[in-house]
Amino acid sequence: MDFFTAMEVSASGLSAQRTRMTVASSNLANASTTRTAAGGPYQRRDVVLATVPMNNASAGVSGVAVQQIVADPTQPRLEYDPGHPDADVDGYVAYPNVNPVEEMVDMITASRAYEAGVTTLSTAVSMAERALGIGR
Amino acid sequence: MSPAAIGPIAPIALPTGSEVGGPRRVGDGAAFGDVLGDAIASARANEATATDLAARFAEGDTSVGIHETVIAAEKANVSLRYATTLKNKLVEAYRELMATQV
Repeated sequence: MDFFTAMEVSASGLSAQRTRMTVASSNLANASTTRTAAGGPYQRRDVVLATVPMNNASAGVSGVAVQQIVADPTQPRLEYDPGHPDADVDGYVAYPNVNPVEEMVDMITASRAYEAGVTTLSTAVSMAERALGIGR
Repeated sequence: MSPAAIGPIAPIALPTGSEVGGPRRVGDGAAFGDVLGDAIASARANEATATDLAARFAEGDTSVGIHETVIAAEKANVSLRYATTLKNKLVEAYRELMATQV
């Protein structure tokens, strides 16, 4: 049933948006983390999405998947705080390059895109139900 | 369970002597039982997937998302209703034939 393809595509979109949400929450949670396993402050993470061809679908139809989660290479934010244990010789502490406002915007975008995916999905389901109702 | 699985409607033909007795295929179209069987098999497969996902989600498997579980349940629902609709049509057609005036 081809409506299932539409459902699978929407499902892949929902998974992708869920990952964006996870990454945004990780960025917000670590907005002032100064210590990481790799050393230095936390680096903001970004999601890279890529298309995924759907099996047994008409040509050109593709779902979406998270290809990778990359670290944002911009410089950390320096704040003068000589009392901090992670302060450098000049008294500056390197804080993560996370801008909470940006993360909130990302979060809202992900949430709206998730809503759009859910709407697509329920429309596909109701179309399938309409088709089943033919001749009833 | 693609729409293409439903074969063309075979024309009504008088049975020849050798064919009388026992179920048989008519023309080139797939027997209705096969179509219904495919629909039921698909419904069962989707139902099994939905049950498996729901169980894994309940057990706290982090690789299973909420939406995946709900979507699997919805797929199972739609395919079960497809099978039910086919069954209803079959019964309806059978009743129609049995009501034929001889």
